[in-house]
Amino acid sequence: MKVHAGRCGRDEGWTLIEATISVVIMAIMVLGLTIVLLAFREQLDRSWAIRVMDQYGNDVMEDLTHDLRNATEVTVRPSTGKTSRVDIKYLDPIRHELLLTSRYRADLRNVRIEKDGRALDPLFPPRNLGQGESYEIVQFTLTPYGEDTPNNQERVDSFRRNAKFMSASWDIRFKLRYNRKATINDGDRDWSVTKEYFNRVYVRNMNLIVQKGITD
Amino acid sequence: MPTEKEDEMKKNKHGWRGDAGSIDFVQIIVGLIVVGAACIGTFQALEFGNNQLNSQMRYRKAISIARSHVEYWQGRIHTDTPNINEMQGNLGQNVGQARNAYMLDERDPLTETDDIWCDVRYGTITPVPNVELGVDKRGNPLTSHFVIRVYVTWMEPNSSEYQPNKSEVVFQGSMVPASF
Repeated sequence: MKVHAGRCGRDEGWTLIEATISVVIMAIMVLGLTIVLLAFREQLDRSWAIRVMDQYGNDVMEDLTHDLRNATEVTVRPSTGKTSRVDIKYLDPIRHELLLTSRYRADLRNVRIEKDGRALDPLFPPRNLGQGESYEIVQFTLTPYGEDTPNNQERVDSFRRNAKFMSASWDIRFKLRYNRKATINDGDRDWSVTKEYFNRVYVRNMNLIVQKGITD
Repeated sequence: MPTEKEDEMKKNKHGWRGDAGSIDFVQIIVGLIVVGAACIGTFQALEFGNNQLNSQMRYRKAISIARSHVEYWQGRIHTDTPNINEMQGNLGQNVGQARNAYMLDERDPLTETDDIWCDVRYGTITPVPNVELGVDKRGNPLTSHFVIRVYVTWMEPNSSEYQPNKSEVVFQGSMVPASF
């Protein structure tokens, strides 16, 4: 029986240098992968949180905008922080002689917008927030056109508009902030992002004579 | 007692593999390279997906901005009629003369250099005649409603001077004056 001596005439197995180099290369790769994964995980968490916030902000804006478009009367009162209480009166779509009211307010403690005493979206803020994560409502206001705007042209333009236009043009501003405390190591900084959701609505029915039968 | 034929088969097997059945250095390196390439591909795909989500977010906000401007002009037509100059729109004006830019996406909140701004303009506010409504003193058919078109444009983050990646949203609305 001939014993095969192994490839290239050498003994089988690893040399010390091969084993050491392999371990070093694998250690470097694992270290690099871990750093990249941690950074990616952080980025994904932030991205997910921002999208959740975005979805909620857009939902609130759509709901309020829809109610305002059908409104016949809008009442705005200041509330806690930089928020407003908004009462919107509109015609009942079935019984046109009946006026219904929707009431919007910002609950700063629970970080949610309430409509008629109930949360607009019971799933916000998310219950599975990580350590150091939080949301807060920075602003929820309904102001006449040009009153609270970062755009100087709009502010100047608002002085030229007539009373009918100004009484029916409203700017909705809803600002949400997501806060994330540094948890990886002490060298990281706390991170936060503030997003503003804005809509301008012209309340058509405020300048129309809305009577019984007009929609029949 | 193994036969000569079984010995021959074992020798051929060992001769082909060249070892006693364990992994060697070259195979480890090749395996690590394959794993590394797979990881790079995965991360690139994740980054692409993230960029697409951000792009959709900007698109959504641009629609919101455009709709707000259409609402403004609907209000103006309804109760505060625009003058002849305003009816012409501002599509052809220089950037400084047109309606101001609006912040579309802040991106990194720690810096302002990567912010994305959009430019908002509106086209000529066009009266749409309707003969069925009758004619005015000059014999022209009366207007049934006005059409408003707002354009929101911005440059995506991967744009450069030589390869601009421009995005645009066009929002159209119509309105009748309250006097109608």
